[in-house]
Amino acid sequence: MTTAEGSGIKKYVVVYLALLVITALQFVIGYQNIEGAALVVRMLTFAIVETILVVLFLMNLGSEKRVFVKFVVFFMLFVLATMNYIWTDSFRLLLFRVTGFGPS
Amino acid sequence: MSETHLTMGAHVAPPMEERPFAIPSKKLAMWLFIMADVMTFAACVAAYAFLRNATPDWPRPFHGVTSVAIMTFIMLTSSLTMLIALTAAKASDKAGAFRWMMITAVAGAAFTALHIRDWMGMISQGAGLLQNPWGPAAFGAAFYTITGFSLAHISVGTIALFVVAIRYQGGRYNADDVEIVNLFWQFVGLVWLFIVPVVYLMNLAR
Repeated sequence: MTTAEGSGIKKYVVVYLALLVITALQFVIGYQNIEGAALVVRMLTFAIVETILVVLFLMNLGSEKRVFVKFVVFFMLFVLATMNYIWTDSFRLLLFRVTGFGPS
Repeated sequence: MSETHLTMGAHVAPPMEERPFAIPSKKLAMWLFIMADVMTFAACVAAYAFLRNATPDWPRPFHGVTSVAIMTFIMLTSSLTMLIALTAAKASDKAGAFRWMMITAVAGAAFTALHIRDWMGMISQGAGLLQNPWGPAAFGAAFYTITGFSLAHISVGTIALFVVAIRYQGGRYNADDVEIVNLFWQFVGLVWLFIVPVVYLMNLAR
């Protein structure tokens, strides 16, 4: 194994261990009595950190040209932003089901 | 046009524009596919989140997530073995790349088997697409859609790994093809890392 190969694999092992630790933390949080928004925020924060690690290091986006990185990141953020249009209607339904009032 | 010019034109490749984003076309195609697939999975997760949030008595059927933890460990480890295969392929270590791709493919097959076993457990408890013993009927449809999409991707990825490994060994594919299948495999692993907290860990039985 050459030095370059060795350092490449070393980087991947470090990211792999980091992902294992973060995922283990998610399982620990899952078993704690945390509910609602606090649980969602914690879980998604860890998932976003995992995403950054995977995309930058395991999919090697970090070593691509800057213009391509911007293209991918802009598109992903656009997709994720558009998906947030669900929340107003979701909370409207929740309110209706809990209180029985409001539009069906 | 002179004969000399025609002869030169036949042997010298005409000047071409540079590749868009300076990456190989096949790799760009895989990235574009992944970006489109992100939209599919984001829609699935958004639909699941919509229903989960709007349903006060959403089922929490998961008493233990040992099998999910094992599946997650297998998926994460297979990401590492795939990267070792890619590193070997880039170093022209054919035997090493083939071996590590095969290990990754076997891990993918083990994940698929465990996932199907998990589903069988749910089905034996009475959880179907349109009904379940825990309450809102939408749970089954949401659960099987999101995990089913993931399972389909991982199954296809496993087959792709076997095919690419065999063709790489046979000399029909090169390191670029290994890199493309690596991109897909890392992506399906990443999707699983979102499914675990959203579908399983936020719905543990209390």
